[in-house]
Amino acid sequence: MAIATTLVPTRDTRALLIKWIIGLLVPLAFFTFIWSGELIINQTLLSMLGLGSVSDISLLVEVAIFIVVFYTVVIALAGYLVAADSGHRGMIELWIDIAVFVLVPLFLVYGQGLIIGLALCAVIWAVFFLVRPRVYKALNYTPPVPLQTLRVLDAEQRIELKNRAIIGSFWFSVTLALVWLIVDLIFFFSNNLTTILLYWVAIRTLLLPVAGYFLGRLAGVVALSRTIAPKSNGENSANGGGRTTKRRRQLESLSATRVREEAQDLVPNDLPLRSSGAQRFYMILIVAFVLFYPVIDPFLFGFGTDGRLASYGDAGYYVILALGLNIVVGFAGLLDLGYVAFFAIGAYSWGIIGSTQLTNVLNLPPVDAHLLALLFWPMVLVAALVAAFFGVLLGAPTLRLRGDYLAIVTLGFGEIVPIVFLELDAYTNGTNGIVGVRSPAFFGINWSVITPTPYYYLILALIAFTIFTNLRLRDSRLGRAWIAIREDEIAAASSGVNLVTTKLFAFGMGAFFSGIAGAYHAAKLGQVSPDNFGFGDSVIYLAMVVIGGIGSIPGVIVGALAVYSINQFLLAQLDTLAADPSNVLYTVKNFIIEHGVQGFTFGNVRNLVFGIILVVIMIFRPEGLIPSARRRRELHHTEDEAVEVGALDVIPGAPGFESEVHVE
Amino acid sequence: MNLTLFIQELVVGLTTGAIYALIALGYTMVYGIIELINFAHGDIFMIGTLICISIFGLFGITNATVPPTGLTLVGALLAALVGSMVLCALLGVVIERVAYRPLRNAPRLAPLISAIGVSLILEDIGKLWKGITLIPFPQIFPQNVFYIGAVSINSVYILAIVVALVLMVALQWMVNSTRIGRAMRAVAQDREAAALMGVNVNRIIAITFFIGGGLAGAAALIWGLSIGTTNFTLGFQLGLFAFTAAVLGGIGNLAGAMLGGVLIGVVEALATLIPDSTTGVFGLPHGGGAWHEAIIFAILILILVFRPTGLLGQQTPEKV
Repeated sequence: MAIATTLVPTRDTRALLIKWIIGLLVPLAFFTFIWSGELIINQTLLSMLGLGSVSDISLLVEVAIFIVVFYTVVIALAGYLVAADSGHRGMIELWIDIAVFVLVPLFLVYGQGLIIGLALCAVIWAVFFLVRPRVYKALNYTPPVPLQTLRVLDAEQRIELKNRAIIGSFWFSVTLALVWLIVDLIFFFSNNLTTILLYWVAIRTLLLPVAGYFLGRLAGVVALSRTIAPKSNGENSANGGGRTTKRRRQLESLSATRVREEAQDLVPNDLPLRSSGAQRFYMILIVAFVLFYPVIDPFLFGFGTDGRLASYGDAGYYVILALGLNIVVGFAGLLDLGYVAFFAIGAYSWGIIGSTQLTNVLNLPPVDAHLLALLFWPMVLVAALVAAFFGVLLGAPTLRLRGDYLAIVTLGFGEIVPIVFLELDAYTNGTNGIVGVRSPAFFGINWSVITPTPYYYLILALIAFTIFTNLRLRDSRLGRAWIAIREDEIAAASSGVNLVTTKLFAFGMGAFFSGIAGAYHAAKLGQVSPDNFGFGDSVIYLAMVVIGGIGSIPGVIVGALAVYSINQFLLAQLDTLAADPSNVLYTVKNFIIEHGVQGFTFGNVRNLVFGIILVVIMIFRPEGLIPSARRRRELHHTEDEAVEVGALDVIPGAPGFESEVHVE
Repeated sequence: MNLTLFIQELVVGLTTGAIYALIALGYTMVYGIIELINFAHGDIFMIGTLICISIFGLFGITNATVPPTGLTLVGALLAALVGSMVLCALLGVVIERVAYRPLRNAPRLAPLISAIGVSLILEDIGKLWKGITLIPFPQIFPQNVFYIGAVSINSVYILAIVVALVLMVALQWMVNSTRIGRAMRAVAQDREAAALMGVNVNRIIAITFFIGGGLAGAAALIWGLSIGTTNFTLGFQLGLFAFTAAVLGGIGNLAGAMLGGVLIGVVEALATLIPDSTTGVFGLPHGGGAWHEAIIFAILILILVFRPTGLLGQQTPEKV
């Protein structure tokens, strides 16, 4: 009966339980019952029993895995949130946040499709951020100061914390099971549910609470690893070692901006939804969603999966390009306005090898098509290395240049390379470009220009590789040298950073990734055309980096996706919507056409809209959408309060003094 | 090589070079004062060409009508010049106020992206205003051809070079010998110190944009009279060359911008003399004309390798 007693919530926990169960259950219910969650599960189950419409078994298995992962993570998240919440922020505040950041996107994406939905969300969020502080002010409400609630948890409190996680997950899954049971019974009695699924309903209702209990234990472990433990017997008492009481002292000496950052890491937390523990759960959800997207897409958005997958594959190489450019511009601080050159080099590398172009020029018999397709894999690396070589080649003459002189040399290089490809038409086919570029081959996969799924997974793999390499590079010795150069070249050189090799590496690594993107681009499109490599494209890549948040890897990814969607999907979709007379955009469009602008379409003013978005984002958020922590600190250092010097606990000169007065 | 052809191309090069120089002055002035590559500047020039066409339209002049003579001609030209200069100047000021001033203390790349945004906006405004087709400029200036030896010189070329020279001299005088010019130099050198000495920094920066825009407006008219076609993409290409000119001469340096502009114009014209490689030993595929951009940028890179701050730019000691 020990388990039973732990599962009874105390008075404090009860409030938290209500807060989070409602907070999480409403979006989940929306997804499950109004959108497609229920449909996915039922179709999958029926098809597995041979009664459904879907016959592809591997597809069903994938969907099933996704569903299991999805609900598992949400249940564990509930436990974590209940445990991690310090209870200082009210229910209403949380529910409003969840409504704005989860329900609104779900609702809009459900109603308007992914791109338009997210675009509308962005507008709503911007307004929300603008209005929220005013409402706080009007209500005389000041959010609690982070770390004010910082507690050191002793052994007893730690056990209690873990119990709270179990309680959270358990009761959340119980509620979930009951709600599902009731809804399914209603469906059953209104004859919308096959009888055979009732067995499943019964199994699920019993299974969920048990799963909830164990997931709660897991969530408890996650929450506990982020608490501050009392100093144990010298195990991890070294400087900056474990999360000891010492850590608390360190935190108290930090500046306000740093405290706000550090507070996200700790449990108990005022804003557990934004804490680093919760972010782990989101990451699992996002990764699962992205991985299984090709099989879930038809359930969520209906017909047209292939087209959507193809366009998301295109968006993917922009992510790689932006991440590569981020190395040069973001990490090393070298303004590069000709980045498209390396992209072109990568694209032509595979374009020339991967088609009949090279063998034709050299008057050789064509290579066996299948062999050629397999050659793609080594050629990705070769294309990247060729691009990197040219990156270093460009870097070499620019070593003496500073600031905008460097920018113009890169710009010049970016102009020269496409002209060379255009005019050397003996090798590159000039303005016509190279056609008939082979798709890659992989054993047992049907792969051609018209099959988007293999490309989707290929670009996912390439992006994963790029992100991983970028993270490792950023934290490496080389990465720190880049950042040192960005901040102050002279100081970096004086501290022993070799400017020449460091800068050349930055250009080389940046170009390396655009070479990868180029090879992918050539294979995906099946052709290489010189039109895709103008100065305008370099500018777009730079805009991605700056809008996302220069030097910040998640920021750059978001920036690339945002810029690409605005450019490629958003306005095109506006035109599609405007074609429907019942839509409000139809009226807007006709109004504009009647008042002077003939033949107006939204696609026609793409640059106008994009330009306005660029200017507006820069004016209201010059540091980018998701700035890197370092940069945010630099930009907001004036807001920090002065460090209190009077209250030193350690005598100057004594061991431990350094960390005591450590100032950011 | 044919000497007559060489000199002929040189004259053409000087004309385009003069136009590049006028636009480059706008880049270099703005850069000198707020260290911003004003990507929208080329597009201000483009809007200028469209304004000129509209003003000619007000006079009833299109490329279909018979060119006017006498007083109408002078009136139309003056109206176009003044109208284009004033409107472009105001456009420059408005852009600075809306897109750059809020970013005065933002990270360095923010105003650059904002400038790119403005450039895209202006491009689409040009597109919506006059369409996407290449618009021929009404050729109203009397095209008398003079001969010096075998070299023919069009009167339009002379006009272009003269107007450009007058404007450049006037600008030099203004920057070096007037109160406003002194204030501009002071702000360029040290914004805060200038502010402490009683210079209204925001106003001086606005004036800089005003002058830069005005020069672009003048360049727009000259371009229309001498080269003769325009559409919404013109600003981008010309802006690129003009910016290159500014850097080549040493960005922030007025004389350098003029020198760079003329140099680029001349190189561009002379590049067409390089023969097609299929016809002889020496040459490039499709002839030098197709490569002129690559040649310009290659020369730029070479010059910057040996003179990292441009031809006339000063090697400033690094501030620590």
